[in-house]
Formats: sequence, C-alpha cells, structure tokens
Amino acid sequence: MKTDPSLHDAGARRHLSLSDLYRGESATVAGLVESAHIDSGRDASQSLITRLRDLGFVPGARCEVVARMWPGGNPIAVRIGGSTFALRRAEAAAVRVQLAHEPGVARDPGPRAGASAVAA
Amino acid sequence: MNPASPGTPGRVQGPAPSQPDLRAPARFISMDAAVENKPLRIALVGVPNCGKTALFNRLTGSRQKVANYPGVTVERREGELVSTDGRSLRVLDLPGTYSLNPTTLDEAITRDVLLGRLADTPAPDLVVCVVDAVHLPIGLRLALEVKRLGLPMVLALNRMDVARRRGVKIDAAWLCGELGVPVVPTVAVRRGGADALVEVIEAGRWIAPRAFIPAGQESSREDADQIQHDLQGLLSASGYSPPRENPWFGRIDALLLHPVAGLLILLAVLFVMFQAVFSWAEAPMTWIEGAMNALGVFTAAHLPAGPLASLLVNGVIGGAGSVLVFLPQIVILFFFILALEDSGYLPRAAYLLDRLMGSVGLSGRAFIPLLSSHACAIPGIMATRTIPNWRDRLTTIMIAPLMTCSARLPVYGLLIAALIPAKSIGPFNQQGLVLFTLYAAGIVSALLVAFVMKQFARDRQYSPLMLELPDFQWPHAGNLLLGLWERVKIFMSRVGGIILALMIVLWFLSSYPEPPPGATGPAIQYSLAGRLGAMLEYVFAPIGFNWQIAIALVPGLAAREVAVAALGTVYAMSAAGDDLSAALEPVIANTWSLATGASLLAWYVFAPQCLSTLAVVKRETNSWRYPLIMAGYLFALAYIASFITFRVVRAWA
Repeated sequence: MKTDPSLHDAGARRHLSLSDLYRGESATVAGLVESAHIDSGRDASQSLITRLRDLGFVPGARCEVVARMWPGGNPIAVRIGGSTFALRRAEAAAVRVQLAHEPGVARDPGPRAGASAVAA
Repeated sequence: MNPASPGTPGRVQGPAPSQPDLRAPARFISMDAAVENKPLRIALVGVPNCGKTALFNRLTGSRQKVANYPGVTVERREGELVSTDGRSLRVLDLPGTYSLNPTTLDEAITRDVLLGRLADTPAPDLVVCVVDAVHLPIGLRLALEVKRLGLPMVLALNRMDVARRRGVKIDAAWLCGELGVPVVPTVAVRRGGADALVEVIEAGRWIAPRAFIPAGQESSREDADQIQHDLQGLLSASGYSPPRENPWFGRIDALLLHPVAGLLILLAVLFVMFQAVFSWAEAPMTWIEGAMNALGVFTAAHLPAGPLASLLVNGVIGGAGSVLVFLPQIVILFFFILALEDSGYLPRAAYLLDRLMGSVGLSGRAFIPLLSSHACAIPGIMATRTIPNWRDRLTTIMIAPLMTCSARLPVYGLLIAALIPAKSIGPFNQQGLVLFTLYAAGIVSALLVAFVMKQFARDRQYSPLMLELPDFQWPHAGNLLLGLWERVKIFMSRVGGIILALMIVLWFLSSYPEPPPGATGPAIQYSLAGRLGAMLEYVFAPIGFNWQIAIALVPGLAAREVAVAALGTVYAMSAAGDDLSAALEPVIANTWSLATGASLLAWYVFAPQCLSTLAVVKRETNSWRYPLIMAGYLFALAYIASFITFRVVRAWA
C-alpha cells in the first residue's frame, strides 16, 4: 500500500479507508470496495464485502476506531451501530470512509503515512 | 430425539386451533418425557450474542451454558415445550449466524436446517427469529433474510429492557405491521420474560410470509441487495437511532485493547488464573486427602483382611481417591474460564493475539478453542467449528491437545507436590511457577508445531477475522454456578465411572496370579501387571521411567488422570502390610529421582494419553488420517522431550 502524505488534503480524503484512521477517530462509511490485500480471488472479496455490509458497514453509518493493534493497525477494533468488531487490515481497507471532522480541526498531527505502513 | 414423522411440507398455518385458555401458564417438561407422535418443530434463529440461548433456556427450562462469544452454541441443542393443551413442541436452538450466506461451519448448519437440507432435521414448522433490540439493524437484517424463505415465522424482540434504558425506540406493533409477521417483545433473562412469546406460539397464529426463494435454494447476491434496501427503508421509516453509548465501555476497551497495556493485562490475568489454581486449592485438597485417608483406615479396620479389603482400600479408595483430590483445582480453573467467557473478555483476547498467532499461521479466532482446551481438548476441538478457514481450523485442532487440559492437573499436581519444594520466590509460590512453566511449554510447543504446519500448507487462502467484541457485562452468578456444577458432575462421573472401572481391572491384574510360596519381592512383581510393566520398561528405561510408571501409562491412555490413580494402586499393591493406606506423594518423593519426575512431566506435556480426544478429532475431521498423524507426532515429541529432559536433569542435578 502506498503511503501518501497528502492524505490530509481535502482532495485525498475520499481515498481514505477505515485502516487509515487513528485511534479515537470517528468517520462516516462512504462505501465498500474490493480490498487490494486479498489475493484469493473475486469471490472471496465479494463475500467479504457482503459480510461487512451485513454487519452494518453501510454508507452513512457512523463508526469509530476504538483500538489499533501495534504495529500498523492490524487488527483494529471498530465501534459501529452500538457493536464493536475486530477487523484485520485487509478487511478495514475495504471500507471507504469520510472523516467526521473537517481537516485542521483538533487533529492529531502525527504521521498518518507512518501509521498506515504495511508490514507485508 | 429423531421422530419418524415425515417432514410435513411445512409452510402451513398452525395446525391446531387456538385454545380458549390461552392465558393459562404453559407447563414445561424436560426432554426425556413422553412425546407425541408428531411434535411441532420450532427453530430459534438469531445473530451471535442476541440472547437466543437464554431464550431457549427460558422456553424449555433446559439447563445449558449461556456465554458471550460468537459460536458457543456449536452443538445441536433441542428442548421440549409442552403447551397447555398437552401438545409437544420441539425447540431447536440453531447456531448464531449473521447471515444465511455462511462463512463458518456453524453458520452453514443454521442455513442447512432452515432450508431443510439436513437429513435428520427436517425444516422447522415455525421459525422464531430472535432480534436483539439493542443491536437492531444486524438482527433485523437477518430476520428479513429468514422471512424470504417463506417459513412460518415469529419475531422475538429480545433485550427490550436494555434497549429502552439505552434510548432505542422501537414499536413492536408497528414493526409487526411492516413485516407482516407477529412481533413479540421478550426479556429472556427475566422470569416470565418469554410468556408473551409462548402465547403466540401456542395460539398457532403464525403467518407464513411470502416466499421469495424457491424451496431449498440459497439466496443470490441480488437478494442480498434487496434485503439491504428493505432494511434501510424499514430503519429510516421507524425513526431508529443507535443506542446511547455507555462511556465506560469505550474507556475500558481503550485499556484492554491497548497494544502494550492490553497484552500485559492478558498475561496478568492468565498468570493469576494459574497461580490461583495452585494456591486457592491447597486447603480443600488437604481436606479431601484427609477424608480419603480416614476412609481407607476405617475400611481396613472394619473389614476382614483379604481380597475384598484389598480391592476396596487399594483399588477403589486408593485409586479413585487420588484423582478426587484434584477436584478443587479443576473447579477453580473452570471458574476463571467461565467468568472470562461470560464477561465478554475472551474475544478481546483473541483480538490482542491475532497478530501474534497469525505469524505462526493461526487465526486470532483460534484463541477461544485453545483456551477452552486448557479445560479439556474435546470442547476445544469442537469449538474450532467457528473458524472459517479449513487450514486454520485443522492447525488449531492438531495443536489443541498440547494445551494443558485439566486432566493433566492431577499428574502435574502430584509430581510437583512430591518433587518441588513449596518455597516462595518473591511473591510467587515455586510450585506455581513450575506449573506455569509447564503450561507455557505446552503453548510454546503448540506455536512451533503450528509454524511447522504452516510451512507445509500449500493453499494459503486468506480468511478474514471479523470478530464481534460483545459489550461487557458482569458474569451472571447463576450461570457461573450452573456451569461449574456441570463440570463437577462430569468430573465426578468420570471418577465414579471409567476411572473406578479401570482401577478395579488394574487391581485384578496387579493381584493375580499370586506370588509363588517363598517369594521375596512385592507381590505385584509376579502378577500380570508386573510382567507387563517389566516388558514395557525396556521401551521406557531410556527416558527414566520405572516399571510402576510403565504400568500406569497403559490405563492412562483412556484418560490422563487415570495414570495417577493407577500409580496409587500399583504402589499400594507393592507396599508391605502396614503402609497400605500411605499416600502416594511421599512414596514418590522418596523413591523417584528428580530426573525421572521431570521426564514424566515432559512426557505429559506432549503424549496423547487420551483416546476420547483422538475420537473427537476423527469425528470432526471425518477421517482417520488426522487422528493417526496426531497420535504419531505427539508420541514422538513426548519421547524426544522426555529423553532430553531425563538426560539433562540427571547430568545437572
């Protein structure tokens, strides 16, 4: 996964996925896409998307990253619709999100690029 | 539990007319009561953690475990509900599932039952779909999916009390109108909380919704899209808003799921658990030991000396008694496991360990089966059904017997007490530390075996984690006591059943034939068991086992703790007159070298001394191949480990 320092920019925000969020950060689900981390075929990707949707990852749903495992946020714990789910990086990458905050407002200036580095 | 009744082509309205005395309380009787020829079949369906199992208990009065992590209901659970007019209703508790598009074996079972695909379980006459009102969207989505099958259906809106407290507004009557099936609020954990549901079931006013899916077929992706569309429409029309968050849950999770603090807490929890097994159990174990000794002395004093007295004192009291002593330790271990399970902590431990376990080719989901295996490998291996990927599941099954099950505790407990001095090192008990090391040895070797298996695996299909971390709750004291009581019953029936029977056989083998006149050695050396032990000694001498251990290992194949009872019998039989009731522990302390004891401990870390485990592996993998591989590799590891331990300890001590 490429580490793009421009993720803070307004234009890049739509490329943000759940796996890029910091701990404690809230966002709104924008949609589900096929995860680049899953190489076992389209069927597996599709059934992953279906299951995520079944669990409540639907466009418009509010979610919050409750915990990120070190290193690289794999897995993460996500609070959504009153439930908490543990997702690995590959699953979290399939969830496109929009940040709840506007950029520049009370945000941790830490290196997002570093946080999203993948240990392959 | 398999009625010969042909599957009525279902989809009919309740076959009996509603009774006038609907309001009368339903009478519930247990499953073994007489049943009518054609009982109605009711299936409970719901997502994991929706309170489905609690509702099942409420309906049938059946006593069973209610736990908090996804997938505890791996077995087929059926109960009986007898209606006020005497009709028999069969209630089937299906494994929890998020969807009828399964990713695990458990979920596949639920789908197959609903589609009528299982040979011995026809499609139910009525589906009770249990929806957790606190987590409405997930449950309602499943309900919509089940509804499309066209089976007669009732929706139970469970946990209504908690939902109201947390500000979820949902109108059952409105929902009933929208869905076109009866919607009944329930509170499964409260007495009388399911009465309304029972009334609806008894009244037979069930409605079979329109089937969208041809009988016996699975839903397609287009169906899933339609269901999602319907769900969103339903939710926005109902004015649904998510439940208010309890701020404490977030704070506790921030700590418990922290990469460093969380792992330290997990380690501390496990360490306290294993320390407690030793230190809390000390006093009750002394009482039981004293009572068994007194019983032995009393029996010997009041019976004429002869074969009967010998059988009772050496075989029954000496053998079974030496296992009974370990009851307190087993109770404490299960207390911790049940409490952790009930509180919702176990899936969080799975989250913490997912990365670490992933590096040796295991899923974090394997943590729950592996922790259960610390109580007993059999429920542990059965719990692997919640692991979606076959490779992950097989690896977990193959290493489950390496976890230190409670049947090893009698063996470890005996040897540690006999050979390791009970002194304190800092705040820790030295015996507890050795026990912790043995547990750690099991876990570390399991990870190594998993790593080796990973290297041999050809298909590495990715399988997601997607584990729900349920809201915290205080362990329910009633559930906890019930779970402990079940464990005590199982243990006692093993002591009273298989262990006792084997002890009597062993007593016979070690008593006959009697020694020839003028023999000088202990009588047991001339018996069948003595001769067998002498032969086995050739095999076991390189790893430091004497002939008494060699004999004890043979009945110990049936169950690990039997070896302790067998040692008790063998030593009691080889002792001279007065020492008959002498406890096993000092005998071992005086006659075994530290190297022999350590070698036997190493043997027990690995050896597959449990036929029931191998039988379960055969059943779960549906092949002889894996139990045979398992027995082979475990015996090999056991022999190698004992060989090395024996040589190293002997050279060093």
